[in-house]
Amino acid sequence: MTQEISSLMDGELEPQQAERAIRSCCASREATETWMVYHVIGETLRGHAPDAMATPKVLEKLAAEPAIIARPRRIYETPAGRIALAAAASVATIGVVGWIGTQGMQQSPTGAVIAKNPVAVQPVSIVVPAQPAEMQDYVAAHKQLPSADLYRPVNRTAPAAAAR
Amino acid sequence: MKSAPAPGVRRILPALALGFACSAQAAPSDPIAWLHRAAQAAKQASYEGVYVHANGDRISTVRVTHLTTPGEEHERIEPLDGPDTLEIVRRNDEMFCRFPDAKTVRLDPRITNRFFPAILAAGADTIAASYDVKLGKTERVLGYECQWIRLDPKDGMRFPQRLCSESATGLILRAKVLNAERHVIEQYTFTDLKLGDKSGRADLKSIFKARSRQWLSDGQPRDEATNAETGWAVTKAPAGFNKVAELKRTLPGRAQPVSQLVLTDGLASMSVFVEPNPTPTRTSEASSEDGTTTFFVRPMGDQLVTVLGEVPLATAQQVARSVAKR
Repeated sequence: MTQEISSLMDGELEPQQAERAIRSCCASREATETWMVYHVIGETLRGHAPDAMATPKVLEKLAAEPAIIARPRRIYETPAGRIALAAAASVATIGVVGWIGTQGMQQSPTGAVIAKNPVAVQPVSIVVPAQPAEMQDYVAAHKQLPSADLYRPVNRTAPAAAAR
Repeated sequence: MKSAPAPGVRRILPALALGFACSAQAAPSDPIAWLHRAAQAAKQASYEGVYVHANGDRISTVRVTHLTTPGEEHERIEPLDGPDTLEIVRRNDEMFCRFPDAKTVRLDPRITNRFFPAILAAGADTIAASYDVKLGKTERVLGYECQWIRLDPKDGMRFPQRLCSESATGLILRAKVLNAERHVIEQYTFTDLKLGDKSGRADLKSIFKARSRQWLSDGQPRDEATNAETGWAVTKAPAGFNKVAELKRTLPGRAQPVSQLVLTDGLASMSVFVEPNPTPTRTSEASSEDGTTTFFVRPMGDQLVTVLGEVPLATAQQVARSVAKR
């Protein structure tokens, strides 16, 4: 639920999922509060905390989550921090989605989130996720952008007189 | 597009644009002419800048310096992230890739245009056969006026693309690739750009060369890049994708060269690799999608077929499943 509201605010949901999230958002008091809190956090991070929204209840909720609020305030003082934090946030999101995805494959589906992974391609045989390591050689060959890490010793060597 | 004038007129416009690409020429109103101008500008304009490339989870920053003298194109490409272990100096289609740690220069001819902003790998008319080309809004980018060119695929076999072409020269300042849901999955943008002949030839020289007195030369990629007869063919390539190269590549850890066919529709490209199925033998298909980079591998008898490219997974699957002995 919390994850869904978070995804909704990040604009990551498909229209149908978004509609469901918006509906469920106001269905319970807890969800409404989560929704409020995320908005206040968002506004605070953007540097204009709306005083009108900072009701005692919200402030109490914010105080209960010091880990979320306290750190961003410090980091957000510099543009570099802003980028770093955005990057960290996206890594965290990827982590969560990745973890949920794995959970789904191990047959503990959590409904809404699993529906985020529609399979539009023809399932003919079992397709397993590829490992990054097995792709590297092909990526380097296709993109013609060799990686120094993968670079192998030269087979035929000659002084590079002509090479500039 | 439907009400476009006779084909002859369409060819004249780009020809005019070609002649004046480097001077500030009045911008054309035909989207195809814009596309043509963008391709010419990447070759003929002189520029120097830094661009950011975001693809899937990965972001990288690259410095590019490009200078054209009559008949010769010079470029220096340097990834700015991570350890400085690599630079590419290009003269026309010859690429000299320098690895200071290995004291080696690798010679690798460029197969298709794939370094931003030279990302158009075919003529404007070829691209227009697979994409609906329209002009979007104009926008101010890095202080330059920039015209968006919208390329929407005519089928589901490729990704939509958006190119922002600088109004005076045509150079692409920004490019986006979208998925079927119209979310941006890959993006290039200059963050710093000097247009015109301000950069000198000195900026195009290798900055790594002085680090070693003797460099080894690895000519293998160059020798392998001559078109070879691999014996393999893609029998059901999606419409618009044409084979532009066929070669045998030595890849790390393989006893035998790997066959590689390169297909492009002028914007998107993919490589098809065929090699003996290694031990332990792969028995199931595998795939991966990250940004626009799609990977699909499938065992085919005693061979292994791998498709890697900037195409939707369905395209990679169709191509991989239609590989046959010629």
